[in-house]
Amino acid sequence: MKAEHPPAMDDAAIISATVMWNRLISVCEEQANALLRVAFGAVVREAGDLSAGVFDAQGRMMAQAVTGTPGHVNTMARSVVAMLRHVPAETLREGDVLVTNDPWLGAGHIFDFVVVTPVFHARTLVGFMASTCHVVDVGGIGWSAEARSVFEEGVLIPVTRLRAGGRLNEDLLRIVAANSRVPHEARGDIISLMTCNDEGARRLQALMEEYALPDLGPLADFIFARSAQAAEAAIRELPEGRYRNEAELDGYDSPIRLCAEMEIRDGRIRVSLAGSSPAIAKGINCPLTYTQAYASFGIRAAVAAHVPNNAASLGLVEVDAPPGLIVSAEWPSPVTARHVVGQALPDLMLGCLAQAIPGKVLAESAGALWVLAISGDGARPFASLNVALGGMGARPDADGLSTTAFPSGVGSVPVEVAETVAPLVYRRKEFAPGSGGAGRYRGGLGQQIEVAAAEDDRALHLSAAAFERLTTGAAGREGGADGAPGRAEIRHAGGKVQPITTKGHYLIPPGASLWVQTPGGGGFGPGAERAPEASARDARHGLLDADPDSTTLQRPTGGKTP
Amino acid sequence: MSRLAVDIGGTFTDVVLDRGSELLAHKVLTTPDAPERGAMAGVTEILAQEGLELRDVAMVVHGTTLATNALIERRGARTVLVTTEGFRDILEMGYERRFDQYDLNLRLPEPLVPRDLRLTLPERMNAAGEVLRAPTNAELAETAARVAAAQPDAVAIGLLHAYANPAHEALLAEALAAHLPGEVTICKSHEVSPEIREYERLSTVCANAYVRPLMQRYLRNFDTALRRQGFGGALLLMLSGGGLTTLEQACRIPIRLVESGPAGGVALAARVAREIDAPRLLALDMGGTTAKIAFVENGTPDRTRRFEVARAWRDMKGSGLPVRVPTVELVEIGAGGGSIAHRDALGRIAVGPRSAGAEPGPACYGRGGERATVTDANLALGKLRADRFARGRMTLDTEAARAAIAADVQAPMGLSSVEWAAAGICELGEEAMANAARVHAAERGKTLAQFQLLASGGAAPLHAARIATKLGITRVIVPTLAGVGSAVGFLAAPVAYEVARSILRPLRGLHGGTLAEELERMEAEARAVVAGALPAQADIRTEVHAELRYVGQGHALQVPLERASPGADGAALRDAFEALYETVYNVTLPDLEVELVALSLTAIGPEPDLPASPPPARQGAAAKAQQVAVFDPAEGAPVPHALRARPELALCDALPGPAILPEDQTTTHVPPGWQVQVHPLGHLILTCEEAPA
Repeated sequence: MKAEHPPAMDDAAIISATVMWNRLISVCEEQANALLRVAFGAVVREAGDLSAGVFDAQGRMMAQAVTGTPGHVNTMARSVVAMLRHVPAETLREGDVLVTNDPWLGAGHIFDFVVVTPVFHARTLVGFMASTCHVVDVGGIGWSAEARSVFEEGVLIPVTRLRAGGRLNEDLLRIVAANSRVPHEARGDIISLMTCNDEGARRLQALMEEYALPDLGPLADFIFARSAQAAEAAIRELPEGRYRNEAELDGYDSPIRLCAEMEIRDGRIRVSLAGSSPAIAKGINCPLTYTQAYASFGIRAAVAAHVPNNAASLGLVEVDAPPGLIVSAEWPSPVTARHVVGQALPDLMLGCLAQAIPGKVLAESAGALWVLAISGDGARPFASLNVALGGMGARPDADGLSTTAFPSGVGSVPVEVAETVAPLVYRRKEFAPGSGGAGRYRGGLGQQIEVAAAEDDRALHLSAAAFERLTTGAAGREGGADGAPGRAEIRHAGGKVQPITTKGHYLIPPGASLWVQTPGGGGFGPGAERAPEASARDARHGLLDADPDSTTLQRPTGGKTP
Repeated sequence: MSRLAVDIGGTFTDVVLDRGSELLAHKVLTTPDAPERGAMAGVTEILAQEGLELRDVAMVVHGTTLATNALIERRGARTVLVTTEGFRDILEMGYERRFDQYDLNLRLPEPLVPRDLRLTLPERMNAAGEVLRAPTNAELAETAARVAAAQPDAVAIGLLHAYANPAHEALLAEALAAHLPGEVTICKSHEVSPEIREYERLSTVCANAYVRPLMQRYLRNFDTALRRQGFGGALLLMLSGGGLTTLEQACRIPIRLVESGPAGGVALAARVAREIDAPRLLALDMGGTTAKIAFVENGTPDRTRRFEVARAWRDMKGSGLPVRVPTVELVEIGAGGGSIAHRDALGRIAVGPRSAGAEPGPACYGRGGERATVTDANLALGKLRADRFARGRMTLDTEAARAAIAADVQAPMGLSSVEWAAAGICELGEEAMANAARVHAAERGKTLAQFQLLASGGAAPLHAARIATKLGITRVIVPTLAGVGSAVGFLAAPVAYEVARSILRPLRGLHGGTLAEELERMEAEARAVVAGALPAQADIRTEVHAELRYVGQGHALQVPLERASPGADGAALRDAFEALYETVYNVTLPDLEVELVALSLTAIGPEPDLPASPPPARQGAAAKAQQVAVFDPAEGAPVPHALRARPELALCDALPGPAILPEDQTTTHVPPGWQVQVHPLGHLILTCEEAPA
């Protein structure tokens, strides 16, 4: 996106453009909040696994809700243009609505449906409303990394008219419902995406009427010019140069290498992920769109957090990778747990930026969300999802946040709700003392969670697809110690402990429980420089020493860069 | 007999006297170290002016921000929390979510109870309320001993699933009572907030325990001070939910008082809605730092039990402490008279959320404030009169206001004049309020054009007409004594008490008797509280609401439940739910099951009588109005406005806009195209001939 100079505007125009910009952001936020209230599935609604945005007639994103996760927020920016390549804008009529859950067009896995509604004003196509939401179940093998290809992951809807000229495509909805284990909820979520877009479209039309706008062009130019200027100014404050960083993930059963080369030049940031490991046969591959979403989120949060999301502000950060890598997996690679790789990217980016602006970038965090995907067969089969959150890296002037998702924005499902929606009992959910990396500022703490079947005679199935950072903890920064790596094990009735070491499926036999400790965040600055009162408080709060209950737990080591 | 209302705010304490025939207002400075002192001074002064004494007063109604301030400033009691073993950190983990995606530096609120004061008890209930593990007597005694060793002032008990079965909380409370000195207060989560979701319930019970010793002390001191001067009537407290309650109940659950001030403002709006027969009213209260909006339909404010106090990080949603008690449903916007305007990093005019407050205040106050605020903008536009502010006790510095606006907004934004910059500041502030109303209306499926706007608080009447125009609203009401609206609202509120229960049950198969027993228990509890504050034989009615959702959703909608045949059949409730769902979301999902999530029941006493304050009916022609120039952005130039002091307006006077109407605590702006009329009860009614674009 070119940073255009704003056209000369008179007093009234400057004021009204600002009012309209604020209004657009609010329309999106409202749409996202409405979706949150009607979404099905505990982890979706408690966590805010959704987003909404408004686009101009060319499919350029003008504003977006900040509710939701970066994976939705930033992928959707590209979805509209991508979808219009399949259904050209000139074929769209009033009352049409497009939908897809294609991972390579939407948010990176088939669970996420993107619904795009063209908005007409005075019979002319003036823009689009788009929204996206995680649907609980779309068939296939369910939430797991075990599918060998996207074909096994569920039903894939290509870009299709969900509504044509005001007439709902019931055939399409029946296909989705017929493939879902929770057909009514899946249908409900897709319908809700559509009705939320309709409400957003009405708000957009009212705005255009109030300000007598024939089209969104001048407003889009104003928003893009101001955003590009502000984002560019922020990037220009960084020293120009090339910065490299690497990271190693546990991977499915063997390590995965992520490589980044970041070039900061001329007010732009370009990142190449060439050199990263190739795609694998398990569902932790990441489509490039999701890779770009998280990588650019990490950069923008650190560099230009104050600039709202739109085509211009996102356009100043380019992320690319040769095809076929684990960060640029191609169809038909399996991609369900793509967040395992995608959510590692912000730390990879922050590692590059820490070289450019030393002392100003937080330490590494727990990274990928640990998804507790637990199901049971028998007379009352169930499938439940919750998340187990680790610690965030210590900041340059504050401790890291404990048990808080980063880079994802989701929260956990309350224990009382989790036990209501599935026959599970949580035996423990508590901070893991000693899990945050030591430093001038301490890394955020991970947590210990123990969960078992509510009935003694029931076996549980677990997908460990997202248990990442089991071997390497979050690195400290500027002399801070690493956070403790995560641990997961099945604790059998007789006291036997079975460690979980790969991302496969596990059986939790009757009477046994799943015990996890999520990774802690890295520390910032040398531990010797920690304020004595902060150390004393941690000691008083019992947060320094590993809990005696977790006998297998080891104290965090001194870290890579003591 | 007379009645008194006392509203203690951050800066001012407002006292309103109801003499039976008229209402009188008085304002004194709040005395933060001992708020009852300022309150007593205000009470004595207003009574002395009228030649009355406290023995002539039958009732004092009181509201205070003291509990809220204690939570914000973390000045509460040393509180111990006892929770289920294995779950020591619920309170500190919170939602485990960042409330701002992009702010890597954000801080989460400090828990009210630090980890060393969070103890655990070996026990467990399941979601159905069945005992999985009962605590032994030895364990109860041992836990109680550890609590006692921590030497707390207050104890909060919050065990998992206690909303479903409170037995273990009760056992522990007994054990604690046996081990602790009598003055240590013990709060149980199932009593303060018997609802599912452990973090929110524990946060609520901890907040209650944390402020309870302080509030008990304060409320009893105030009561004693009143009685020492001869007061023999009832002291009632304003609740966040909009009703009044007794001193005893307020001392037990003081967390229900947190929003008493704003609730008073909404009670006034509800009162005026009934007086002037306005079925749909949008109440806007705008003071120095924030504005608040609330919907009042058929004389009843919307209520909620989800609420957040003491936001700790840039006033952002999510940075405070969740509190699940009944409150009037308010949306707060960080835009008030003192809100600071600037050019943001994107080259836009931004207003708030930072505020210059009362000290140093807006630049025009001349108390050292140098930043341009909304009040400065109003002065620069000509809407505020430099010599008429605060009863003429304060002269505003127009040059200082203009200089601040020129430096902070006009020059950085490249605008052609100070007036244009001031117009931009007002427009952005007004848009923020209008937008909050739009969003809130959309969330509730309401059509704003069907509403009237009621403006109260010092700053709202200046902006109300413009906000109404933005919302398609054609009628604005500025009530009498708008500047002390909360205290007037205290006198208009009935005695009322709400109880709620989490009850998760599918509607299918729900029969008449299923809920009757639970509702009877709830009614007995609510009635007992309400009856204690009313004369015997007083008429008490009840309202029951069911909270419903499609199975699998997280958010519920509130549907009124006919008490005559509670849940008579699930089908009727389902119909009511689907009708509301259709209104709010424009769709229904007929294949899905609907479930009951919670019941709430409110017992309400009679509406008190409140005298009207009609202005004198004037004989002869009104005095000729003076003219002042007010910059109008629609014209791009100053436009002459009539200037009339509000007290000079006579009954039923009608005045075409544009006009400026100053009074003691506020100023009303009547823009071009609007006209104003004085209602027989003294309220100003602004109307716009044509529906605005």
